[in-house]
Formats: sequence, C-alpha cells, structure tokens
Amino acid sequence: MLYTKNYPALLLLATLLILQTACQKDEDVLPSIASIAVTNADFSTLEDAAVLGGVAAVLSNPNPNDPEGAYTVFAPNNAAFARLGFNSGADLRVLQPSFLTSTLLYHVSGGNLLSNRLTNNSTSASALGPMRRIVTRGNERYINGSKILATDIRASNGTVHVIDKVLLATGADIVQSALALRDAKVFIVPELSFLVEAVLYAELADALTAKPSSPSFTVFAPTDAAFKQLGQDLGVPLNVPADIRKLPKDVVTNVLLNHVIADGGKFMPEMNAGAVTPLGGSPLTIGAFANGVVSVKGKSNNTAANVVIPDVLTTNGVVHVIDRVLLP
Amino acid sequence: MRTHCIFLTVTLFIASTVVASAQSLVNGFFSGKGRGAVAVSYSAEHYDEVFLVPSNAKGVPIFREVDVNSVSLFATYGLTDRLEATVSLPYITAKGQADPAVLEALGYENERKGLQDLSLALKYRLHRLSIGMGRLDVGGGLGLRTPVGSYRVDEGLQSILAIGNRATAVTAMALLHWQSMQGIFITAQGGYSLRSGEVPNAWIGEIKAGYAHRAFYVDVWYAGQRSVDGVNILGEGFIGFFPATDVTYTRGGVNAFVPVVSGIGISAGVNKYLSGRNVGASTGFYGGIVYSF
Repeated sequence: MLYTKNYPALLLLATLLILQTACQKDEDVLPSIASIAVTNADFSTLEDAAVLGGVAAVLSNPNPNDPEGAYTVFAPNNAAFARLGFNSGADLRVLQPSFLTSTLLYHVSGGNLLSNRLTNNSTSASALGPMRRIVTRGNERYINGSKILATDIRASNGTVHVIDKVLLATGADIVQSALALRDAKVFIVPELSFLVEAVLYAELADALTAKPSSPSFTVFAPTDAAFKQLGQDLGVPLNVPADIRKLPKDVVTNVLLNHVIADGGKFMPEMNAGAVTPLGGSPLTIGAFANGVVSVKGKSNNTAANVVIPDVLTTNGVVHVIDRVLLP
Repeated sequence: MRTHCIFLTVTLFIASTVVASAQSLVNGFFSGKGRGAVAVSYSAEHYDEVFLVPSNAKGVPIFREVDVNSVSLFATYGLTDRLEATVSLPYITAKGQADPAVLEALGYENERKGLQDLSLALKYRLHRLSIGMGRLDVGGGLGLRTPVGSYRVDEGLQSILAIGNRATAVTAMALLHWQSMQGIFITAQGGYSLRSGEVPNAWIGEIKAGYAHRAFYVDVWYAGQRSVDGVNILGEGFIGFFPATDVTYTRGGVNAFVPVVSGIGISAGVNKYLSGRNVGASTGFYGGIVYSF
C-alpha cells in the first residue's frame, strides 16, 4: 500500500533525476580562442572583426601546423579598437576586408608563446608574416606599441594575451604602405593622399623605399585633413593632393624631411619626452608618454600634433599617423 | 462519457504543445477511436544569450538577439482506443538584430523563414493497470520527422538563423502515464532519436505533472535532450555548420487550457531553456485554438 501510494511521486522523482543527469554534460573544458572572444564582453569588437575577417572558424580549431595544435593571439580589447574609432562591427566597415583579415592575422602566431618568452627586444613571427617586437618600459611590457594587459589566458587551442591597442603592420615599405592608403586598399576611402603626392613631388620616394641594407625610419605621417588645415593656415588652398605642387619644391622637401627620423624605427613606448632631430635638421619636441602615445611638435607649430594611428610597422620603419603637419 | 470528453480536450491541448515546443512526440492521453482534433497555434521565442561550452555568450554572435515566431498546424486522430496518430507542420520565421552594415559586409540577412519539418507520430497503449487511487498506462510512441520546406542550413554563420537542421529523424519513446480519479496526472517518457546526415542522434525525455478538470487544465513540464556526440560551436571541429553541433539542453514550462464553447478551446503556455550547450537560451510563449471532434 505504501508502495502504491508513493508510486506517482517515485515516478516523478526518478524521471526528474534521470533527465537532470542525462542532459547535463561535463563543462570542465577550456574554451577555444574564438570562444573566449565571443563569450567575453570586452572582446565584442574583436568578435565582430573575427567574423568579418573570416577567422572565427579557424580560431575555433587546433592549429594544424603546430604539434600542440596551438595558436597565440594578442587580443585587442574593445578600448583598443575604440582608439581607432571602431566601436562595433559596423564601424569596421571603413576597412577593406582584406586589410581587416591581414590585421587580424598579424595578432596571431603559431604555437604557445607564453609570457615568460615575452622578453625585451624578443621578436615573434606573425601568421601574416611580419615580426612583432617586445618592448619594455618601466614595469610594463608592450608588443610593438601595444601594452600587454593580461597574459597566458589558456584556451583549448592556444594562448591569449590581452593588449590595449590594435597591432598594425603593412608588410610593405613606407612608400608602398602610403600608396596602399592613398589607393584605398586599407580604408575604403583614400588617406595620406596629400602625403604621397608631396613625397612624389619632393622626389623622396626612393629614399623611403626599402632596399637591401637601407636604413629604417620613424615617420610621422600627416593625414589629408592635416594638409588641408596647413593650406588654410598658410593661405594656400590645398583642396586636392595636386595642390601640393603649388608650394615650392624645396619647402615641401624640407617639411617632409621634418617628419622622418633615421633611428631604426621606434614604437611609441620607445619614445621619451624631449627633442629629436629629424632628417630635416630642425628639432622636433616629443611630449610626455601618456596613454600609450606621445605628442610631437615642430619648431614652428603652435600646437603639438596628436598621434591618431600609432605604431604601424612597415618593412623599413614605423609610421605614426598624426593630425598636424610638423613645420620646421 | 463526460470524463472521456475531458481527456479528449486535454489530449488535443497537449498535442498542440508538442508543435509549439518541438518537444515530445506524444503525450500520455488517448482520445479514443474515431475522435480527433485540429489545432492552430502561434508561438514566439526570444533569446539574446547562447548556451556555449564552457561559458555562455551574452549577445548572439552577429545577430545580437533573435526572435523565432511560428504558426503551426496540428491534427490528431484515434485510430483505435489504443492507437493514435498525430501530424504537425510549422511555418517558422527567425529574425535577428544584426547591424545592416555588418549584414552587407557579410552578405547576410536578418531573417530566415519557411515551412519547417513535417512530423508524424503514432502512439500505442500496451497496458493499463489500476494502482491505488488511479491508473497507470504503459505505452510507447514512434515518430518520423522530415523537412518539407526548402530552408537552408549550410550558409555558414548566417545559419545561426536557420529554422531547423534539415535532418530526417526517427524517434522511439517509452511512455508511462499515471492519473488519479481526481484528475491529477504525471507523464514520464524517454526515448532515442536517430537523425540523418551530420545531425547527432540524441536521447530525449520529458516529465509532466498536471491537473485536468472539466473546466480547465494545467501542467508543468521539464524536458531535455542529450546529443550523443557532435561538435561545440566555436570548439574543435566547428566549421560553421550548425547541424553537426552537440545540441543538449534542459527546458521547462507551464501549459494551461480552457474549453470555450462546444468543441473549441484555447491553450497557452510559457517555456524556457534552463541549461544546455550550443542552443539559444530562449524564453517563449504560445497560444492556440483547438477544435475537437
């Protein structure tokens, strides 16, 4: 009688237990690199970038070219993308898809590159090809110009380190990199068009083209808006790149050389406040290192230029895009 | 006879639930020979979180949040007092909230819709035992489910919005149904589903407890599926093909039904995914109109 009375309760309990047990699975597994990006709110722009750049499935799986099946990803957080004006996947549309994919691959390398190997001046090859270099400043470590915020986040298919700036590399020399920007191969709208025109006009293209044993440079590259502003300041309308040729050639040459430093190419964390001498000879004033960047001011500038896109690695130097032309 | 009619309407109601929740093929009640029903139901589900392994994603990748609405047609008919046939067919619309610029870049769309899968099921009562203050029915069910719409599942991450998995499934279920003289009932069922293609086979089960009265019906249910294998979304082996994923979950819900006029009643319910992997953490509701004959 006791049994029959309790039969429905037993049936209910037994089924619930079976269901509960059967439909739960062991969750003690590591997430993949792609899963880390998707499930972490601070990587939502990276997630969008990975989807748009077509690498989400790749970073879900083991690296077929590594014995451990591992990748290492330096993962820019949302603030890193926001520094470039990318607050969502929609913002990333200003980039050409091929450049977006290349940029993502520059953050990736094969194998587990753990933090104990991220020592000053050590380098690592990226999946894109170009190397990345570790820079230390005080107690902080940087990869190129990007501060490493967190290290050794374990994933099922490798390791993630968090960085505060997007890594940028063109895989081309300074001239070809500027041409790529002018020809809208990076952004979907042309950029650095005035600078390219000025370099061609001043016949400096050859000097800035990579050749065997040629030097590497740090280059401050003014945006198109910076040149237009210069035109207004000088009272010489610079509305289209060809307008550069309204200016005397020697003036343009001298101004351009004021943006190039023959120092092997330095990332922002490698710069210190004070004076540096560019190829033009007129000292530039470097401002204090703050929030990962420095300002830079020419001798005749009233206001310092801000770096809008820092630390772009080329094959013969590092380019920092700035918002003002540096006047000698 | 009156008791019989109560159970008839209950049967129809629960059957329409099957369509709305895509859950169990069968319920514990039998309509009786020559009796049956047709029903139409509308359901709406929403999710902005996805159960992934090992942790969940807040926000659905690309689509941010997803709404799934469906209109389902359902019919059931008692071939004998012990054997009952059911058929159902849903039309499903899945909508995302992806940024138009992102969609344009990917060549994706924010909506997928169409006829989904036709489900046919037979259930059979093997034994009826009198136990204490009630009776226990022992039976089983056999179901076939196959795609009839032209919906796609091979569109990469666009298929986050796919309305089904395009598998043909054959499912066998064992069924235990106890009900008291007062109308309290408990139904437990469990079985195995064979799926075609790359869709993993799965164990499925459901427990339901409720109260069936002449004037109303209410139940609470807890159900689950455990895929026997399959890949995890964004895990090893994932290539953007969602039908191959390990869809495992538990979900629960509440159903209610009231007869309105002779032969016609209204059903409604809410349901929620409680845990799982590779499935949207959705919450939904449905409502339906049932005509019995």
